[in-house]
Amino acid sequence: MAALILPAGLLVLLLLVAPMAMLFRISLNEYSPTQLMLEALQPGNYLRALADPYYQAVMGTTMSVALSCTAICLVIGFPAAWWLARMDSKRKSLAVILTVFPLLVGNVVRSAGWMALLGRDGAINAALRGLGVVSEPLQLLYTEGAVIVGIVAVVAPYMILTLSAVIEGIPRNLEEAAANLGAGPLVAFRRVVLPLAVPGVVAGSVLVFILCMNAYATPVLLGGPQFKMMAPAVYDQFVRGTNWPFGAALAFLLLVVTLALTVLGSAVVGRRYRR
Amino acid sequence: MISRRALGLAAAALPLAARAQDARVVMGTWGGDYGEILRQGVDVAVATPRGLEVVQEIAPAPTRKTKLLAERQARRGTMDVVGLSDVDMYELAQLGLFEPVPAGAVPGLARVIPSLKRAYAVPHIYSARVILYNPSLVPVPPRSYADLWDAKYRGKVGLSDLLYAQYVETAAIVGGGGPSDFEPAWAKLREWKALGARVYSSNEQLAAALKSEEVAVTVMWLARGFMWKQAGIPLEHVVPEEGATSITYEMAVPRNARNKAGGWRYLDAMLDVRGQAAFAQRMGYVPTVTDAVLPAELARQISLTEAERAKLRTPDYAYQARMAPRVLDFWNKEFKG
Amino acid sequence: MGTLQLAGLSRRYGANTVVDGVSLDVAEGELVALLGPSGCGKTTTLRMVAGFVEPSAGTVRIAGRDVTRAPPHGRDTGMVFQSYALFPHMTVAGNVAFGLEMRGIGRAEREARVLEALRLVRLDGLGERLPRQLSGGQQQRVALARALVVNPAVFLLDEPLSNLDAKLRAEVRVEIRNLQQRLGLTTLFVTHDQEEALTMADRLVVMERGRVRQVGTAEELYERPADLFVANFIGRVNALAGEVAGPGEFRVADGTALPCPRDAAPGMRATLCLRPEKLRFQPWASAGVPAVLARTVYLGGQTEYHFTLAGAPVMALRETPPAGDRLRGLQPGDRVTLDWLGEDARLLPEVAR
Repeated sequence: MAALILPAGLLVLLLLVAPMAMLFRISLNEYSPTQLMLEALQPGNYLRALADPYYQAVMGTTMSVALSCTAICLVIGFPAAWWLARMDSKRKSLAVILTVFPLLVGNVVRSAGWMALLGRDGAINAALRGLGVVSEPLQLLYTEGAVIVGIVAVVAPYMILTLSAVIEGIPRNLEEAAANLGAGPLVAFRRVVLPLAVPGVVAGSVLVFILCMNAYATPVLLGGPQFKMMAPAVYDQFVRGTNWPFGAALAFLLLVVTLALTVLGSAVVGRRYRR
Repeated sequence: MISRRALGLAAAALPLAARAQDARVVMGTWGGDYGEILRQGVDVAVATPRGLEVVQEIAPAPTRKTKLLAERQARRGTMDVVGLSDVDMYELAQLGLFEPVPAGAVPGLARVIPSLKRAYAVPHIYSARVILYNPSLVPVPPRSYADLWDAKYRGKVGLSDLLYAQYVETAAIVGGGGPSDFEPAWAKLREWKALGARVYSSNEQLAAALKSEEVAVTVMWLARGFMWKQAGIPLEHVVPEEGATSITYEMAVPRNARNKAGGWRYLDAMLDVRGQAAFAQRMGYVPTVTDAVLPAELARQISLTEAERAKLRTPDYAYQARMAPRVLDFWNKEFKG
Repeated sequence: MGTLQLAGLSRRYGANTVVDGVSLDVAEGELVALLGPSGCGKTTTLRMVAGFVEPSAGTVRIAGRDVTRAPPHGRDTGMVFQSYALFPHMTVAGNVAFGLEMRGIGRAEREARVLEALRLVRLDGLGERLPRQLSGGQQQRVALARALVVNPAVFLLDEPLSNLDAKLRAEVRVEIRNLQQRLGLTTLFVTHDQEEALTMADRLVVMERGRVRQVGTAEELYERPADLFVANFIGRVNALAGEVAGPGEFRVADGTALPCPRDAAPGMRATLCLRPEKLRFQPWASAGVPAVLARTVYLGGQTEYHFTLAGAPVMALRETPPAGDRLRGLQPGDRVTLDWLGEDARLLPEVAR
């Protein structure tokens, strides 16, 4: 058994751990405009990122966007997932395809669609002005709201599919048993389906939260140049600033914060529902 | 493991394969119009008849730049020729990424405008940074960069996030500094921000804002302005009184290119007047060779007058590279923040 | 407790009619079994009573109230599911208390009733366990307690014994029946196992392809089946097609005459049905119907004798003869004569199957 796992394990090590280790090593180097970076073992990049109010704010925005998106995904994803899980198998395959359909479109293309919808001359503003609701176009694009909507549209399928897989594992007759004992649909949902779906809620939320923390294209395109989340900030340091050590430090901070919040969140939810 | 020696023997035993390898040149380039004109005007028209087989590796400039950096310690890189802006090219040349141009390897260099020649690269096309404005919204054209700080342009100036370093230099010039002194830029940029200068994520979004008349004025490459005019955006250009700053797109052969000889042959093909004229006609960039003849009307639209050319500034690459982290920081944290 | 009345109950899925005009009255305290092969519509009928399936036509009345369009939680039925459907995240006591909670019963009374219900199903002291910590039989009893504790008007059992092993099944059968009789529960019980139905039910409803074939007591169904399907489904039967030739005489296709009831109208085409235990045979040629022994199946106390009668297979079941009896020496291929009382045979109309 161990021998069977070995090649795959080595591959994972090579493809995942090795680049991470290299990145971590780079994050301890010193930036040099003329030599890219100087070999060093110093925490300066981390200290600078942690002390800088700008990056504190960027991290704050990233966390708030990721948490909002996760919460919204959960609220809109649960009913959809339940509906999907309880659908007969013939219609389900079609519904699953429709659910993952947004993922077939690249983030950039999808964002272009949102821009056409939310822009000053976009469909929504045109409609609102046409109806006389507003006289001046509303600033919809380049707002935190636009970013959240855009990211939710990308990650919601992950939440829905994860939840629906777990809900599918909850025997349907448990809901029937609850109804038979006098529970209305909402009570049956709260007392029976929801507690049993907690593993799905945790898994889906972790997945979605991680995706949101690392969102790149959507914040860049829908948030506009002023809006900053961590992934674009990392990109900026690597590509525009050519400051690899600092970019690597930012990337690691993002990783650590994401990991910490994920572990913390799962532990809290897990304890709340474990018997 | 097969030793390199064994590989060399195998290569020697396959002269045909080896020759095919010599002909193949991997060209790291932008896609879109640039890549297409390059393909038609240089690859098909000149390089292929000269026996080169050109493969384009298309990616945005930052991606190719990062790739070159990531490959800098590899014995063999992926690109044989790479095109970048003069500023990027200088930055990477500083890190020793490019092969110095050997004397005689690119005969066409004899026809190149002398001030554009570099030790580490061959100039491809160039343009100048100018002011673009919408004549129906701006009846009295601005004459200088400094005019753009006038309160009458409040909220009407649009900027592209990609050109942030250019705006820092622009502000430095307005504040009394210049390409080698950005210190006065910071105060001027804060002032500009207070005047409601708007930043757009990409050149395309800036173009859309100009077209929808959300903004009326910008600072941009003359060549880009030419393309936007061709696309029907109502724009005129002004060469600022302070003097325009040039931008040159250059091509170089990475130090770890597989096929350096092919790379130099490609660079010579790139200097052919046919390709140079095609870029002028379609993208509004001025040829870097002296023998390319453009139609008079086109020349008027895309190039500077004798007097304007006399005031043309070249960026101080070394200074700009040194300032790059501060420029990006200021732009991100203060100007956009 | 109350009565249950089904009138013209039907369920169609597209062109497919799963339940077709089922009418049935279950009296107070009566246990009625819905019996039939899989796909006969018995489970769908039960689910229409519980409210999980909406009828296409017909009505469901519980304790006189029309609940045809009422949601499941407004019907006051107590159901035991085939897989028990215990809430895995709640304790045994939590499961049993759930229905009481939904009815707004206060904590003190709830706890008392839960204890009482658990005692009733002999699970005292297991209230704090989780369902997965119990055996299958115990889980089944939790399901019973959970359904009973709310005193439902109608008690519904959906194949409640099918997940138990054979020995346990016999025990639980008796246990449920005792409980049902003691508490006077009006019960509808779904099963595909005729033995289960025969031993537990006051009355049985035999269903086939969505329709009710016959309703009656075990005795009625066994001794006076309405048709060949019921005769075949309840117990085993020898069936021979032919025509009534005269008083007490039935002829099969090749002209062989067989005894049949005297009151049968001559000329009637029918299927003659005879239970295996009514068939007598002798190994020596004498008065009777000639047949050939095909094989014997020794079952211990009883033995099956399979014969060929006018080309058709028939079977006799009798006590295994004592050792040394001449019948023990019968070999396949031996000629015998068959005989039965004409009144023991039953003539049933031919049904297109």
